[in-house]
Amino acid sequence: MNDALTFRQRAVVWATFASAILLTLAPLPNVLAILRPNWVALVLAYWYMAIPDRAGIGGAWVLGLFLDTIYGSLLGEQALAKAVLAFLILRFAHRLRVFPRWQQAMAVGVSVAVSDMVVLMIKSLVHGVHPIFSDTAPMVANAIVWPFLFVVLREVRRRAKIS
Amino acid sequence: MCGKCMGTFLGWSVKRPSNLTKLLLLTCASVGLMALDAGHDRSIKAVRGWTGAVTYPAERLAALPLSAWTILTQALRSNEALRRENARLVDRDAILQAKVARLAALKAEFAHLNLLLKGFSIPGYRVTIARILDASSGPFTQRLILDEGRNGSVYVGQAVIDGHGVLGQVVAVHRDTSQVMLVTDPDSGVPVISTRDGLRAIVFGAGSNNPLKVPYLTGTADIHPGDVLVTSGLGGIFPAGYPVARVTQVSSNPNLAFLKVRAIPLSRLDYHTHVLLLWPRKPTPIGGPAR
Repeated sequence: MNDALTFRQRAVVWATFASAILLTLAPLPNVLAILRPNWVALVLAYWYMAIPDRAGIGGAWVLGLFLDTIYGSLLGEQALAKAVLAFLILRFAHRLRVFPRWQQAMAVGVSVAVSDMVVLMIKSLVHGVHPIFSDTAPMVANAIVWPFLFVVLREVRRRAKIS
Repeated sequence: MCGKCMGTFLGWSVKRPSNLTKLLLLTCASVGLMALDAGHDRSIKAVRGWTGAVTYPAERLAALPLSAWTILTQALRSNEALRRENARLVDRDAILQAKVARLAALKAEFAHLNLLLKGFSIPGYRVTIARILDASSGPFTQRLILDEGRNGSVYVGQAVIDGHGVLGQVVAVHRDTSQVMLVTDPDSGVPVISTRDGLRAIVFGAGSNNPLKVPYLTGTADIHPGDVLVTSGLGGIFPAGYPVARVTQVSSNPNLAFLKVRAIPLSRLDYHTHVLLLWPRKPTPIGGPAR
């Protein structure tokens, strides 16, 4: 079993999530905002893939709950989506790690898309408003951004010696 | 002890729950929370108001790079550009001076109108002007942020109108700001009455790009395109007699129990910078912490 993470290493992980949340909240012109990747989900996917033994579904759920309060969405909506994402990533973590980068991007993209579908389903169930085609744009953006985000976060992980 | 065991409880060895078990449990928890939240549970709403204190600074922080960029581009302008701008501004100053003369008259008129507003009364209600700080619009939320909050005695459930009709109601109150749910918000419902024949109905929002819905009217209901729906005063939130919507489309499908009725809001949701907040003079009979 691995040793527990030091306070500094934990802070690094939290900082990546905080940056992801800030990137999500940052104002963008409407055209770009449609294409905004789901940063928090991608960062979550990276850490759950890189250190699956340290990551639990409960943690993802609590993070989702926090996101719900920030986004102002129905409490439990993002929580459920992030729990589903964490489950999918943990299930395939060891396989994902040996995939070629583009294949990894597809697999992560699909996992995040599944969790986003959960959100869309809840929204259409609760509000009775149907999802529109442009809702799929971030799902494409996720897969495109993943290889770059992966390299950045791997560098962060190696510098902080988190394993 | 096996690797998967967490320990023992009353002689039973307890296994660490699998990821699937955890996911199922957390799904149940999420659905429970959503049901509470959608059901307007008071304790959950309290949590929301409290977390606003955290999220507002986060949003400001997220907007920081943009404002920093603006400041930076302002600071790094050449001398030449500044000279040119200065010359242009001097020219404009002359024109503006002429306009300022008119402003004095306008100011007087504004003061007069303000006075009128103070005297202006809806029987049983006190009225105040509030400024719109922000408007968020998406398929799922239709909200306004006003510059009056708890310090201005705004309360949840308060009616918000403009000169043309009902805009919506207050759904969250912070220290100096409050959030208004527009009538087009999917969560909004306004009790109305038809001016033509007094038919009672409820107008529901359906998101930004969709017309309002008027559900639960049976085939025998006497309603036609062009009918104006005004607030009925039932429910105790909105004062009676304020225009809400005009019916645009009525269609009946024999397979459905109810008519499909669509309407457009009469208040100019997208046009104003100021709205009116209403306070009932005596406690409303149903709900609502009256003043």
